[in-house]
Amino acid sequence: MRIAGAAAAVLLGLSGCASTGIVIHRMPPETPAADNAAAIERAKALPASGPQSAAQGASAQPSAPPLTPADAPSMKTYDPWERLNRFDYRFNARFDEAVFLPVSNAYRRLPAPLRTGVHNFFGNLSEIGSVVNYTIQGRLGLGARSLGRLLVNSTLGIAGLFDVATGFHLAYAPTGFGTTLARWGMHPGPYLVVPLLGPSTLREAVGSLGDFATAYGINVANLYRGDAGWGLGPGDAVDTRSNESFRYYSTGSPFEYENVRFLYVRKLLLQDEGLHRTKPRERPAPDVPAGQ
Amino acid sequence: MARLAMASDIAAPVNDAANAGSVEGAPVPAVAAPAVQGPATGLADSAALRATVFGTPPQDRAPMPARVPLVEINVRMPWARPVPAIFWFDGKLRVWFSAQDKPAPLAIVIAGTGGDGNSSGISTLRGALYGAGYHVLTVPSPTFPGFIVSTSRTGVVGDLLQDGQDLYAAMQIIVAHLPGKAVVTDIDVIGYSLGGANAGIVKSIDAREHKLHIHRAVMIEPPVNIFDSVGRLDKLFAENIGSGEAGVERLYQRLYAQLANLYRASNRVNIDESFLLGAAGAVLTTDAEISAAIALTFRIDLMNVFFAGDLYAGTGVVVDPRHPPKVGDSLERTEQILRGKPFSEYYTKVFAPYYLKHHANATSASLMAENRLDVIGDDLRNNPDYYVQTNSDDLILDREELSWLKTTLGSRIAVYDHGGHLGNLGDRRQVGDMLDMLAGRWHGGER
Repeated sequence: MRIAGAAAAVLLGLSGCASTGIVIHRMPPETPAADNAAAIERAKALPASGPQSAAQGASAQPSAPPLTPADAPSMKTYDPWERLNRFDYRFNARFDEAVFLPVSNAYRRLPAPLRTGVHNFFGNLSEIGSVVNYTIQGRLGLGARSLGRLLVNSTLGIAGLFDVATGFHLAYAPTGFGTTLARWGMHPGPYLVVPLLGPSTLREAVGSLGDFATAYGINVANLYRGDAGWGLGPGDAVDTRSNESFRYYSTGSPFEYENVRFLYVRKLLLQDEGLHRTKPRERPAPDVPAGQ
Repeated sequence: MARLAMASDIAAPVNDAANAGSVEGAPVPAVAAPAVQGPATGLADSAALRATVFGTPPQDRAPMPARVPLVEINVRMPWARPVPAIFWFDGKLRVWFSAQDKPAPLAIVIAGTGGDGNSSGISTLRGALYGAGYHVLTVPSPTFPGFIVSTSRTGVVGDLLQDGQDLYAAMQIIVAHLPGKAVVTDIDVIGYSLGGANAGIVKSIDAREHKLHIHRAVMIEPPVNIFDSVGRLDKLFAENIGSGEAGVERLYQRLYAQLANLYRASNRVNIDESFLLGAAGAVLTTDAEISAAIALTFRIDLMNVFFAGDLYAGTGVVVDPRHPPKVGDSLERTEQILRGKPFSEYYTKVFAPYYLKHHANATSASLMAENRLDVIGDDLRNNPDYYVQTNSDDLILDREELSWLKTTLGSRIAVYDHGGHLGNLGDRRQVGDMLDMLAGRWHGGER
């Protein structure tokens, strides 16, 4: 029943796309003064945490030889399911416009401290998966950091509503099963646009399933298998969407699908490079589409 | 000037997109691309190139209001043509409006090349204008794909007068339907970069047609000779990235390797915004690297304009007019080809053939002459309600063009020493002077 109701709402929303004339959407207000202040803070923080200074700290470790331009993956992306993916991309764009964005825009009118609390809560829940995955990735230091964050924020931070740990220099750095698979040497695989969720690859999609299975298996505070489980997914989705500025087709470009795919997979591949800092990797031939 | 007077004739809606632009059977004389003299960087030095890429440092930005309300307005234009399948998402023009809760003047802001009505430059100006008590309406550049599809009557954009007519017509519809109880006491237009030139043209059209009664226009860092400015960006691309598709691929490979090495060395767990901000500073250091970034940014905007123009005009450079791409078709190869195509090719293969066919008596020379700011030279010279802000190290200008602006605007131009192209948009002086100009209390001169 609940599903049928949701489906009807979605269909109604999608059919609204065909309306003509003038349509007005109320957007969340902009906060330029606060944005400027935040930009000033970021600019101050930059030299301290920038790549240059961090590079000195890393020089003590043995490391793989630096990449040369010849090591860059192809500009083409492995996308054997492109037709289906393009269909999904269009569906996601319409769904976002009709359902997701209006809901997240309404949500963004709630007081900021409340939204920050919700965001922290979901971030704190994700630490459980991070602890598990860092451990099986063999990155115990990072696993300990996530565990520390989890303990501090669940107690002092009142069930994760406040991020106290960042103040103790334990920065939020989540990981997941997709990264674990990458650490084990798996390539991203075919590009995949997942309905409702967006750009992914086969490896990352399997990773997300693994993350869900982990969370469901551990079932902390009976959140996942109890009645709250129904609200958890949508709540997480609305929180994630309201913190994400991406807007489908805001570029207006006919090449948006190509550009999103290019950037998404390159970012993934760059992160993979970071997982293999110490040993040189075997590289696919330059004419193999990236991700294969 | 002649075309400006009869611009409404040109702007007649084109209903049959497929036939309208077809060049089949009508031999069009080969046209030469505009030639550019002088350095690709115009008046810009090293510091100006950096300012162009990195923008106004946050600590130099003008004071901003705490909160700016915002609504998005989607408009289907009455003259809109059938939306090509591949552009299904661009059928409506998207503009943004911030209303004061009391009667106030309306500032209409036009974005620069390729920009939509909600880009970062737009957002900066919106904040400043709203804070100063204006209702603010922000609209995309006529070169933004969403504008080309929803609003342009030709689909072949880049022509100052035609684009100005289309913008002016769209503004009338939007202003008539502003939401809420916004009471508008006066209307001013502001634009930056190409949008600056658009703003001037729109005010000139309005001075003849009296539909909006636009009071003042502030043109921020406008080009003077559009095709020369764009030609410089072509040249910048050829010199710093290389011609053709291979140049972009080399640039990509170099950037990928640099980013991967930086990321490895950073010991960060994820690639996030702060990593990318830091990396941009490390990857873009030499003049050549910075120039490449500027040229590539422009090329990405040009690719959309080229693709749409070719589709609408039926000129068949990358889009087969008989079999236009359908929803779901891959455009990867098309995009790859367009990466290697400069503006000069858009001009010779799409723009000029289209306008030569559709405008009686037009010649390549007349097209170029009409795409100079001096088509409204008399207005700029004699009407006290036009203002210009520009930089003496702007890369889209050369010495002659800057001096033409100074001579033409006289005491109504502010020339800043540093800023490159838009590298000082939103800083205290630029914003302060802009607000003084709009209020008619600016009596400065050259600084």
